[in-house]
Amino acid sequence: MALDAFPPGLSPEDQIEPLACGRDAADVWDHAADGVPDEHERSCPHCAAAIADARGLDGIVHRMADEVPPPPPSLVDTVMEAVLNTVTAELRPQDLLALYSPAGPARLSRPAAARVLRHVVDRMDGMRARSCRIEQDGLALSVAITVTARFGVDLASVTARVRQMVVAAGKQALGTPVARVDITVVDLWEER
Amino acid sequence: MHAIRPTDDVAPRPAPQVRVPEPVVVPPERELDEVTLVVRAQEGDVRAFELLARRHQGVLFRVAVRVVGDPADAEDALQEALLDAWRRIAGFQGDSAFSTWMYRIVTNRCLDLLRRRRPVVPVDEIGEDRLVASGLAAPGSRGPEHAAEVDAGMAALRVALARLPDEQRVCWVLRELEGLGYTEIAQITGATGTAVRGRIHRARKELAEVMRSWR
Amino acid sequence: MSVLHVGDRVVARVAARAARAVPGVVALRPDLTQALLGIAGTVFGQERGPLSADGASAVVEGGHAEVSLTVVARLGHNCRDLAAAVQRAVTAEVAAYTGLDVLVRVTIADVLIEGPRSGGP
Repeated sequence: MALDAFPPGLSPEDQIEPLACGRDAADVWDHAADGVPDEHERSCPHCAAAIADARGLDGIVHRMADEVPPPPPSLVDTVMEAVLNTVTAELRPQDLLALYSPAGPARLSRPAAARVLRHVVDRMDGMRARSCRIEQDGLALSVAITVTARFGVDLASVTARVRQMVVAAGKQALGTPVARVDITVVDLWEER
Repeated sequence: MHAIRPTDDVAPRPAPQVRVPEPVVVPPERELDEVTLVVRAQEGDVRAFELLARRHQGVLFRVAVRVVGDPADAEDALQEALLDAWRRIAGFQGDSAFSTWMYRIVTNRCLDLLRRRRPVVPVDEIGEDRLVASGLAAPGSRGPEHAAEVDAGMAALRVALARLPDEQRVCWVLRELEGLGYTEIAQITGATGTAVRGRIHRARKELAEVMRSWR
Repeated sequence: MSVLHVGDRVVARVAARAARAVPGVVALRPDLTQALLGIAGTVFGQERGPLSADGASAVVEGGHAEVSLTVVARLGHNCRDLAAAVQRAVTAEVAAYTGLDVLVRVTIADVLIEGPRSGGP
């Protein structure tokens, strides 16, 4: 990196003037900050001045780093209000699944349906849902779900059970038949 | 009204004990890994995004305060950044860490905010009084008796930090206060590694110069 | 002979009220039309301000009304049945109150899984 004479975006202000002894001043500073100056740096007067600067600043910078201003408690809530407003405002036809209703047009948000199906999988011992993509043909759903499993669970039986749970949730929670469930186990995890 | 009942015609025999659960309070921290949360958020799961935001808000707020120099401005910048993140998360490729991606969005928002603010309050006029008044020079996590002796130096460091060029301050904060490496800082700022090193070094020298009188 | 004329807003208010009373409906959210008009402001599970409290929009033409509702459902209530229940309740209530013939469009925008907001760490 240091060999790039004038890489894109590098202005003269970004360049580091070497110390009078020829050493790269930033290297000397990094060594001092890490507490590992080399032999030259320990004995060279030019390096010594740089090391003194680094050490002089070190204490107060650490104190500043230790100060952790806590975020305002309502910060995320405020963001989520805005997020929910954009979600509702930006629901597009392709984000919606059709629900059977004799009483008029009825739709269900696709992300909401995915959340329900993931939740059902999350509640299974040793399983977590990751991606859940839902397609609809007529009323019937095709679900492609990726899961992660705890080490040691029997993948064959557990995926069979995931399939049953997703089909059941489609029928009972969503009210729409699930015609197909593709399950991919994408990762394993250990109980912490 | 239409509560869920278990049905027995769902799956091949033997009928599994399948029941759709009633609403429950799921602990929000229910140890979901970050990749899972990111994928869910990318697929429009608002709750997964909320968990990500809650997990990262402490670090991101700290960075924002240090870069913009004012808690209220930092809050604005971080709120805007999180909304940006929600709108753009589908485009997050996973070629950098999620935290790197978030740092980038937040520091960009901070720089935007500073650029907007600049004409109103020139840097040179950001005096110690304003920083103290804004709460930035308030004692940190230490007790007040200790704070009394270090605060004058700390306030001087804050003022010196506020007077650095914005890009230098961002790089310095990420390196010296967040402890990130040059490569990650380059990813966050979009500058070259060489430029990042140069900015950090310049910032260090300037701060050392100002603080020499406090040693 | 006199004819009763009912405004869009009246129908929307009656519809929102009827929908909110259906078991399993947690909240209404302003629908697309309202959001585009810039009067969105409903917060999940909360009602703020007189406009966003409606969460329903309606258009009346002659003896006919079209109502659009965006609702948040609670897990444990079948979404299909919930949507139909909202449609029936709104149709009946609007008809009883105004005499209008109604078409009700329902969109379930979210399904509440967590129960009441549990707050974060």
